Amino acid sequence: MIVETLADFLTVPELGTVVVNGLAKSALYVMIASGLTLIFGLMGVLNFAHGSLTMVGAYLAGLVMVTVVGQATGSVTRLAVFFVAILLVFGGLSVLGGAIETTLIRPLYDRPPIYQILLTFGLTLVIDEIVRIVLGVFGMQPISDWQAALATKPQFLREPAAVAGISVRWMAVFQILLGIVTVVGIWAFLTKTRYGLYIRAGSEDSEMAAALGIDVRQVFTVVFALGIGLAGAAGTLLMWDATWGASVPLAAETLLPAFIVVIVGGLGTFRGTVVAAVVVGMTDAVMTWWFQNYIQFTGLPELVLFLVLVVTLIVRPQGLFGVEEVGGH
Amino acid sequence: MYHTLLNSPVQYEAEMLLPTVETMVGVLYFGLFAMSFDFISGYTGYLSFGHAAFYGTGAYTVILVANGKFPLLGPETPFMISLLVAGLLAVVVALLVGLVSFRLSGVYFAMITLGFAQVLYVFIRGWDYVARNPRDGPAVGPSHASGFDIGVPWVDQLNLAIGVLTGDEVSLLGTTLSGTTVSFYMVGLVVLVCYFAMQRIIHSPFGRVMIAIRENEERAVAIGYNTYVYKLAAFCMSGFFAGVAGALFAGFRRSASPENSFYFLVSGDALLASIIGGFGTLAGPLYGRLFDETVREFLSKSGQGGGLLPYLRLLLGEGTLSTPVVGGMTVGGLIDTLLNGHASLYVGIVFVLFVLYVPDGLLGTIRNRIGGTVADALPAKVWDDE
Repeated sequence: MIVETLADFLTVPELGTVVVNGLAKSALYVMIASGLTLIFGLMGVLNFAHGSLTMVGAYLAGLVMVTVVGQATGSVTRLAVFFVAILLVFGGLSVLGGAIETTLIRPLYDRPPIYQILLTFGLTLVIDEIVRIVLGVFGMQPISDWQAALATKPQFLREPAAVAGISVRWMAVFQILLGIVTVVGIWAFLTKTRYGLYIRAGSEDSEMAAALGIDVRQVFTVVFALGIGLAGAAGTLLMWDATWGASVPLAAETLLPAFIVVIVGGLGTFRGTVVAAVVVGMTDAVMTWWFQNYIQFTGLPELVLFLVLVVTLIVRPQGLFGVEEVGGH
Repeated sequence: MYHTLLNSPVQYEAEMLLPTVETMVGVLYFGLFAMSFDFISGYTGYLSFGHAAFYGTGAYTVILVANGKFPLLGPETPFMISLLVAGLLAVVVALLVGLVSFRLSGVYFAMITLGFAQVLYVFIRGWDYVARNPRDGPAVGPSHASGFDIGVPWVDQLNLAIGVLTGDEVSLLGTTLSGTTVSFYMVGLVVLVCYFAMQRIIHSPFGRVMIAIRENEERAVAIGYNTYVYKLAAFCMSGFFAGVAGALFAGFRRSASPENSFYFLVSGDALLASIIGGFGTLAGPLYGRLFDETVREFLSKSGQGGGLLPYLRLLLGEGTLSTPVVGGMTVGGLIDTLLNGHASLYVGIVFVLFVLYVPDGLLGTIRNRIGGTVADALPAKVWDDE
């Protein structure tokens, strides 16, 4: 039985599909986790509110898509609307992130790091509940209206494509492309721009960076804003994925995988996050395949993802690319 | 006391402000869980973000024993025995988790414990042995229709049954205590014993080492303590009390679900209670949970004891309630929107304000103000005044 299933698994079409699906999931994970890792890398703040802000981003993006879809009919226009939504959500949430950093997190820098975790944890409660109230006031039940946002997906993204005998979804290809753009974008920002230099300097040694004349406080605010903006952008992408969509529990559903990716990669290293996202995405896809075909245990992919986290921490406590000191006491 | 107030001229105000007895039982068992969380996190400084695993282990053990699904223990096992077994099983889980987790510190420790707890959570949610529908969780079957007994096992006269809508009623000196009130005192008895046990440990030399680890672990190592063993032992003890708390929860509620026992947000609630009550003060989490539950019940309609919403409806009258405020929404609608079931919002805001402005929590702040524990400082103050 297991041998036959294994033989099935190792055929070119099956394996190819799994790999493409895995990469698509990796792209989503990279989008969800990169903001988290940027914020932790520079500021040492493990942002528990990240998932909630992703959820807010998903709702905002859905709103933009639904309101603009009336004018958009062709596939190209719809794709354009999607990018408009991403930009709007990114901008809006960046502003929100900046506001949160300056008003709430700034007073806590000279306290032990645990207080920043606690604060962002409290923030998730507040954000989730505000979203619930807003949804209640406007009578927007999570599912019905947001199917409309899913419906704005251009027709060609729904159709399956067959490349060299491997059947894939165009949506997966789209997600992979967007993931690559995000990774290259952040990488270029961190390594090629002056501001990226400040950020890297600040994450190495913020006191020294301050002594050299960098306005570290401003850098902190900008990085926090960027990280939150990225969370929102990830939310936008989730709106077009039939398995996600916008709902209040989305906050926890994205936060936990984001934690796994960030921890497995090594807290605060962007390179580690990218590698870990691929590892986690692939594991997820492989386990989903095994769950569908052989092992009948609900939640198998999720279970294995947390096992990946636990095993990584046992074997390599600082994560794949992490530095030993970061994150400890 | 409660009933006296309810029959007094301020009956509506009293009903609005005071939590019901049923809520108070919840405060007790969850307060014990929050204490056990604070026992490890507040005193050694290691944030155990997967503490819900032990709580859930305790809860599930009790229900599985009662349903005859636990190996070696039949459904006729006295509750006090399954309570102990629940605690000991939680110790085993804590030992296994702790053995690997204490190689890490800081955020990594929080994350690996969270990881272990989530593995258990997902596993329990999918394991169809524990309940017919594992996603909804198990409930106590017909074997314990009259509630679980707290007292001395095998001696009927020294046992009182607890439970929602079940349990013993007691007539004492002309007044009758309802089943829920009896549950309150019996659960409270177990919680009190556990509290004193933890109190004893904290004030022993062992507890001193725990605090030394929190303050400066390197120095504790330098003066010759094997901190790994101390941390692990403290973690196991904490796991035991968390398991007992979970067992009380299952014993009173008669059912458990993965969401209200193993999920990571349950640990989050304990964290909430600890911070509001006072991180690193043993009794603090109990007050924190009391505060938390009171706010929740005060602000939500679902609380049996009334709360702000029914009170406002009664006070404002139909005329005011139907007055439009903004955009066609009436006062009644607005109150409904803002108050109905959204207590988490206000608890969250209170929590954020506590983190920002009252970092020592309720009890910690009081202690700082009067310069010692209340038990020490109050008599001293009274004698001084005389």
